[in-house]
Amino acid sequence: MTHQRTGLLKYGFVGPALVLLIALNIFPLFYNIVLSFTNAQMEGGGVGSVGGANYATVFSTPKFVTSIRTTAIFLGAAVSIELVIGFCLALALRRRFLGKSALLTVLLIPMMLSPAVMGLFWHQILNGHYGVLNQVLGVVGLGQPQWLTDPALKLISILIIDIWMWTPFMMLISLAGLNSIPQYIYEAAEIDRAGRWRIFRRITLPMSAPLLVLAALLRTTDALKQFDLVMAVTGPNDVATQTLSALLYRTVFRGGKVGLGSAYACVVLVVVIALASVFTRYIDFIQRKQGKVRL
Amino acid sequence: MNFLRRLVIVTYLCVAVMPLAWLVITSFKLKEDTISSTAKFLPALSKETAGEPGGSGVLFPASVDGYRRLTRAHEGQVHSFFHYLGNSLIIGLLSTLAAVALGTSCAYGFSRFEIAGAKDWLFFILSTRFLPPLAVVVPVLMMYRQFELENTHLGLILLYTSFNLSLSVWLMKGFIDDIPRTYEEAALVDGYSRLHAFWKIIVPHAATGMAVTAVFCLIAALNEYGFAVALNHSKAKTVPVYFAGLQGTISGVPWPQVAAGALLFVVPIAVFTILVRKHLLRGVTFGTIKQ
Repeated sequence: MTHQRTGLLKYGFVGPALVLLIALNIFPLFYNIVLSFTNAQMEGGGVGSVGGANYATVFSTPKFVTSIRTTAIFLGAAVSIELVIGFCLALALRRRFLGKSALLTVLLIPMMLSPAVMGLFWHQILNGHYGVLNQVLGVVGLGQPQWLTDPALKLISILIIDIWMWTPFMMLISLAGLNSIPQYIYEAAEIDRAGRWRIFRRITLPMSAPLLVLAALLRTTDALKQFDLVMAVTGPNDVATQTLSALLYRTVFRGGKVGLGSAYACVVLVVVIALASVFTRYIDFIQRKQGKVRL
Repeated sequence: MNFLRRLVIVTYLCVAVMPLAWLVITSFKLKEDTISSTAKFLPALSKETAGEPGGSGVLFPASVDGYRRLTRAHEGQVHSFFHYLGNSLIIGLLSTLAAVALGTSCAYGFSRFEIAGAKDWLFFILSTRFLPPLAVVVPVLMMYRQFELENTHLGLILLYTSFNLSLSVWLMKGFIDDIPRTYEEAALVDGYSRLHAFWKIIVPHAATGMAVTAVFCLIAALNEYGFAVALNHSKAKTVPVYFAGLQGTISGVPWPQVAAGALLFVVPIAVFTILVRKHLLRGVTFGTIKQ
């Protein structure tokens, strides 16, 4: 009798959350697939099947290829720059010193802020005429790049803001990675009179690598979603910064083409799901490595 | 080596803090000073030294005009900033409450009971974090139209709850796993029911964890933009949607107000960050890495 009661009770604990998740996270994914085969529009009207026409459009539109390229460039640059700077920062911050905790907290604030809100405010800083960045550059004599209006520089502007926001994230995880290296290994290396660079190359880097890879994976999946900054800084119609999500927004909310938008979404989701399974497998690997058996 | 280290830290500190400092300074300026061709760095100590607004020189007259104007609707907008702030707070607080409540009980279930396919469920919950909001919002919008949830507070609350669940379940599972089972077992031996044991023992011990989880969920809900702009575009707009929508305003963006509003929005979040500083690593990695 107790067994039966436990059997039902556990689903009582877990059930409501899972039902909500399925209703609002999983069901929409399937509905996406259904919609992608129709010609649904935003403004109501008839909904009829169009077979694979939407997908044909997706794969033959140059805009789609451009947006993939833009997203990939942004992603590659953002993640690698953030990782390098974040790791260097973590290396610099390893030792204990007075005020370390306070310093860390201040450095971590940018990553907790809303990209949409801060993106708009960065306009103030980056504006070609009255922005403070250009004023400082002018004083130093470095010319006046038009960050927000020059098509070649727009993506870089968004990159700058993203780097400002997310480098602390990489720093935080790098610190965790560096701190996970046991002290005795360094002591043994010192006894063996290993040089500084050797220690770095053979001990520090390889042993902090797992968490660095994790950080890169996390940032990659986040950068794929990049939308807030694009909308706040240049708007969704700007070709120079049209990431995948921006293209989707434009198709559905400016163009009204729900069916086509769903087709785009399904293609993006395939990539995302592939990345997610890589990530979850990796997390599993790390957790088992850390000796913490979670489940 | 020490010098290099200090140089790196100080340089980065300046870079990290400068935009925030600029935010504070801008919020106290008059509009002309924010678009003048010489940037103004310091508040003038008296009216005489300030000179003409918008003129040359690096001093500016300090004013709380930006803050005052927040109470009125900016031209072309329907409501004042505080209306949108209210929306954000209602939606954020209610969805956080629901996410923490559901997440805690769900985490407890996974932590203490044998559930078929638990590992798969948990990783499925984690993977919802990777979904680009835009890819999910289109079908959700269609669904919401059926139920008349578009442009409502409730619609966004439900969606935020659902998306914060992955954060909430993983964080709370980490916290609950750390509570020894012996506490509940003692209670069960004494005749408490499972539910009673959960309420009287787990909840008090997990209180800190719930507070930390609540902070992260709240920050995520307040900052969220993708869903908000797609679903609540004309009514029940949140602050991020309002701000991003100001981009490209015809008569120029009202920078002092924007700065003032952004500051009012950002300061509580910064305070929250400071409060949970010991759990930041856990929070931003969804509880997958503990320090």
